[in-house]
Amino acid sequence: MFRYEVLYLTVPEITKDESEAIKAHFTKVIRAHKGTMTSFDRWGKYRLAYPVNKNEYGVYFLTRFEVEGDQKEALLAAIKEIFVFKFNTLIPKHIVERLDIEASLEYRRPDSLEDNPQDVDTFLKRNEMEGLIKKGPGRKNYESRDRAQDAGHADLDIDMDGDQAE
Amino acid sequence: MTKKIKLKISARLLKKKFRKKSHGQRKRCRFTDNPDMLHDLNYKNTDLLRKFVTERGKILPSRISGNSSSVQRILAKEVKKARIMALLPFCATEY
Repeated sequence: MFRYEVLYLTVPEITKDESEAIKAHFTKVIRAHKGTMTSFDRWGKYRLAYPVNKNEYGVYFLTRFEVEGDQKEALLAAIKEIFVFKFNTLIPKHIVERLDIEASLEYRRPDSLEDNPQDVDTFLKRNEMEGLIKKGPGRKNYESRDRAQDAGHADLDIDMDGDQAE
Repeated sequence: MTKKIKLKISARLLKKKFRKKSHGQRKRCRFTDNPDMLHDLNYKNTDLLRKFVTERGKILPSRISGNSSSVQRILAKEVKKARIMALLPFCATEY
């Protein structure tokens, strides 16, 4: 019995149907080689360390499966076929790793953009600078002043229009 | 009359002795101290790998990080795998 894992990177615009189509095809191939899929995780959206196919973002998926020794090489060739030929427009990168059967299945992964979004507000919250977010009244004053100015201009415009009409 | 005895020690030797003393404790490999951490040393765990990589993206030498040579060999392979999967940069200044 051999245990493997495949991590693959997809384009950021991948839809749910497409990802499920990949998963369905993957399970079909594994079952054809008398293996079992143990897990299928969607890591989420990430900012990549360098642009891949002109994409700055990408979505990672991690799958794990087990196979018997005699079917091993045929299955690995079939998996390569999936990524390199069938879904090559959706999946620019993949990696196949062999795992130790006795080792635990727990692993750590980096936080995705969905886990902790990198907005200004979340950054301020994380660094305990929430006072900057709650500067409501100051902002509101500015906004109200702007609105008043806009309203004044609007009035002027109307007057001008009226003059022209006269 | 007591004669003062002057010991002849060259400045170079003195410096060498000082350097030996000032070195302090030897660096220890943090993975050999607690071997459970070796399981976490994966290409997926980029938070850990980033500690052994410079700001520019180069792998730190073991003389600085203090890793044992066997761990350093594993670490270099995992960093290279993470680079292939775009989890770590090949060169950080370009992007």
